Amino acid sequence: MDFPHLHLLLNHFPIIGTMVGAGLFLTSLVVRTEDVRLSSLIVFIAVALLAIPTFITGVGAQEKIVADPGISNDLIQRHEGAAELAIWFMEVTGALAVVALWQCARRVPPAPWNTLAILVFSLLTVVLMARTGNTGGEIRHSEIRSAEENTAPYAALAYFEPSPAKFTRLMIVNKWWWAFMMDMHFFGLVLLIGTIGMLNLRVLGFAKQVPIAALNKLVPWGLAGFGMNVTTGLLAFVGMPTFYTHDLAFVLKIAAILLAAAAMVVFYLSGAFRDCEALGAGKDAPLRAKLIAGTSLVLWFAVIVLGRYIQPLQDSIAR
Amino acid sequence: MAVPLFLNALEQTGFSTWLRESESVFGFYFILVVHTIGLALVVGPNAAIDLRLLGLAPDIPLPPLKNWFNLMWLGLAINAVSGVFLVLAYPSKAFTNPDFYLKLTLIGFAIWNLQRIKRQVFDLTQGEDAMLAKGRMLAVWSLLLWAGVITAGRLLAYTCSYLVYGVPC
Repeated sequence: MDFPHLHLLLNHFPIIGTMVGAGLFLTSLVVRTEDVRLSSLIVFIAVALLAIPTFITGVGAQEKIVADPGISNDLIQRHEGAAELAIWFMEVTGALAVVALWQCARRVPPAPWNTLAILVFSLLTVVLMARTGNTGGEIRHSEIRSAEENTAPYAALAYFEPSPAKFTRLMIVNKWWWAFMMDMHFFGLVLLIGTIGMLNLRVLGFAKQVPIAALNKLVPWGLAGFGMNVTTGLLAFVGMPTFYTHDLAFVLKIAAILLAAAAMVVFYLSGAFRDCEALGAGKDAPLRAKLIAGTSLVLWFAVIVLGRYIQPLQDSIAR
Repeated sequence: MAVPLFLNALEQTGFSTWLRESESVFGFYFILVVHTIGLALVVGPNAAIDLRLLGLAPDIPLPPLKNWFNLMWLGLAINAVSGVFLVLAYPSKAFTNPDFYLKLTLIGFAIWNLQRIKRQVFDLTQGEDAMLAKGRMLAVWSLLLWAGVITAGRLLAYTCSYLVYGVPC
């Protein structure tokens, strides 16, 4: 398994996934079915997570083909620029879906601002992901390169897309900006461990006099910390893409983040959290909840450990 | 600024050299990992308690949060030890950087503040209203001080003058 394989395996999910999610969401608005709406939110969250490894495997895929005489680096750059725009809309859509799912779990009716925002951002993401997919396909498929690129909508989209080289320079030109991003990355870590980590510890049996349902009210702060770290992490990746790509600790860290996020999704959607919600002070959580909480805790600490090993494991993946 | 000679002597000791140069899995980066885990254990629960004292998640009963202090003391102990090792690995780098002294000062104030939260707020003979009334300002200070500690710690990597004795950063 190498970067081109991973990129080709993953790259269909953000494109088709956002279309499926947006389709379900639109359907739920028309037929007003809660289950359909929930499905669309879960799809958005899953796709927003999968878009991260899709994005970061692109650099390794590029390196493997850029020397090929039949390949135009300009086309790769255009595809990368399209992806660098699309991913932010994808992540915002995912974050909005998390908010909606949280409100649903608290049995709060969906907020109109949130519904409108998901609608706008998911539809924009569909357009931007389609453009990313199309520009990506054209790297290899000369038969689909057409005059279509010169049409007004394409030109308009291209206008908003960053130049990857300029975006990279922007991130690393000032060391204090980099220091600020890393500082924020640590603040996010603290919020995540302080809330989600402490919830996991409570489920495992630490300081049992705190009811799980009460502690759970702090979890949105942990999710905000996660959001801060996805943002600063993606910006750091844009700043030093080849450095991170050839780093085993980084690749494993991303895998651990996806698994930790998946553990959270399973915790809330499998009913494990429902089992805990009714438990009062001093009550022991069921085994299933403990297993998920323990897995989640180990994974989040693995994320911290792997993050720290990025620097010494520089160039641990052959160029 | 002349760098004191004893920093060079300290750096040349076997242990300091081993910390810097060892390829062992327990070398420098392992200690940095431990220091980061300690940070998570101290500041994570601390931040959560601060948010609670500031009025968020009012369903969380305050008294049992006192147990969390054990976790925070554990984190502090881990970081005191790992912090000494980190300084031993690069003494010239640490002691010639004003930011290092800023970080130590902020840690001092942050721990003092944490003690006050434990003694004054988590004095369980009083009711929740009294706990919250005493806790509000201390929680604000706690968030500010720990944010300052983390920021000063992060900036150590960007503000040093010497990597080792006689070698600029």
